[in-house]
Amino acid sequence: MPSNKPAKRPGLTNEGVIKRLAYFGFRAINNIRQNLFLSILTVGTITIAMLIIALFLLIFVNLEGATEDWSKRVQVVVYFEKELTAQEVAAFRMRIDSISGTDKVTYVSKDEAVKRFRARLKGQESLLEGVSADVLPASLEISLQKKSRDSEAVAAYVAGLKKIPGIGEVQYGDEWVRRFSTFMNFMRLMGALLGGFLLLAVIFIVSNTIKLTIYARKDEVEVLGLVGATRFFIKAPFLIEGILHGAAGSVLAIIILTLCYLGFLQNAGNFLSFNPADEGVSFLPFSYLAGLLLGGVVLGFLGSLTSLKRFIN
Amino acid sequence: MIQLHNVSMSYQSDISALNGINLRIPRGDFVFLTGVSGAGKSTLLKLLYAGLTPSRGQVLIDGQNVSRLTRAQIPYLRRTIGVVFQDFKLLPNRTVFENVAITLEVLGWSKKDIGKKVFHILKQMGLEHKINSTPLRLSGGEQQRVALARALVNDPKILLADEPTGNLDEENKEQILNIFKEANIRGTTVVVATHDRRLTEFCHKRRVVLEKGEITEDSYAQQ
Repeated sequence: MPSNKPAKRPGLTNEGVIKRLAYFGFRAINNIRQNLFLSILTVGTITIAMLIIALFLLIFVNLEGATEDWSKRVQVVVYFEKELTAQEVAAFRMRIDSISGTDKVTYVSKDEAVKRFRARLKGQESLLEGVSADVLPASLEISLQKKSRDSEAVAAYVAGLKKIPGIGEVQYGDEWVRRFSTFMNFMRLMGALLGGFLLLAVIFIVSNTIKLTIYARKDEVEVLGLVGATRFFIKAPFLIEGILHGAAGSVLAIIILTLCYLGFLQNAGNFLSFNPADEGVSFLPFSYLAGLLLGGVVLGFLGSLTSLKRFIN
Repeated sequence: MIQLHNVSMSYQSDISALNGINLRIPRGDFVFLTGVSGAGKSTLLKLLYAGLTPSRGQVLIDGQNVSRLTRAQIPYLRRTIGVVFQDFKLLPNRTVFENVAITLEVLGWSKKDIGKKVFHILKQMGLEHKINSTPLRLSGGEQQRVALARALVNDPKILLADEPTGNLDEENKEQILNIFKEANIRGTTVVVATHDRRLTEFCHKRRVVLEKGEITEDSYAQQ
């Protein structure tokens, strides 16, 4: 009986990590080319999903910016009956600066206070006739750092401030601060809830789309298994495809978002009562864009990985 | 050498596909597994390429117990076995060349060597002029020859065929049988599952008859 010699194994191309990766990359790109419709479907789904997330982030970032501006109004004011000397101001400033949470300390003399008051009553200056600078107290206006702007932190700050000898009356609009803190907490909670649900929906839709596209190619997985491909050999091109789909979807989403943003800036003046460009409507910062790109890549990769588990034992 | 010792296979606890099968197929043998649909032919083939694990008994290939192979070891067994099916299982969006090349890509052959070897086997199958066609543009006989080229391109030790001529006319059946015979002459052990009795009569080889999951006749044992 003639002996059956096993197939001679000639020089290998995909030995070594780089050549192996290059082979899988080539295979992945070829697969995308050969399954163009499924690839377009996957990229389209990821684009829409990432665009929804990106729009949510854009709105969130701008709301955060707006509330940051409002929170700057949280100010602690220390009033003094008499005018302070320059040395006294410097001494208070030094002690106040040493309290954690202090951002900026501004001294408002009695003259300055009256000037501000006059500015506020512009057009009705007659009301202030005969009013001398002595009527209004001198004060130190203290701006707080971002972390110390919620109601509890402000109360703690004020308690620390009152320990400084010579400091009497302190006002910080505690009711306003409390309401503002409640509003901020509500905003954060809603943002987290909405963002969380949105993210879950996006993961669900994208992973199901990828599952369907891999299901459509289950014969390929089966044939590869029959000819002796290892699980890694079968999975690798699919995973690279997932990464490429994710990256392409994210980049497309960012491009569409940029175009929408620019279009909004140019045309919003026509249908809104304010010009968004003047109001400081900002675009997503670079770190968010990088995060979106990475998110898309991770979504494509994990979507492919979990879907493959169903078809490869 | 393929050995089955008291092999049983149940898909559900009460439905038995194979029952106490004992079979020995020496290296280089050519065996027809025959029997009506549902006799257990396909199940037996699946056990040989580790597509299924037997409920009881042992399946040995060259002394290696197939059911004890880990998931990571199964691909290495399959690299020594070629498998063809009635429905060919060709990838419709890849060319004939790419369909056959898959087997060698899995083995890690270089592009150049794959090109030479695939062209050589397609020439043997009379398909060299269809190398860039996609399977859907081929006739049934041509598709089965592509599937055979994919199964034989790495000169496997064993060739398993599940109803390989089920969708083919007489002329194509003969052509496919000749390819099996040639592979067998080169030393490949060939196991063909078929319910087509005429095929086994046309080709005087060992015949194992399965009925309700049991071997009822083995021409090898009678010799």
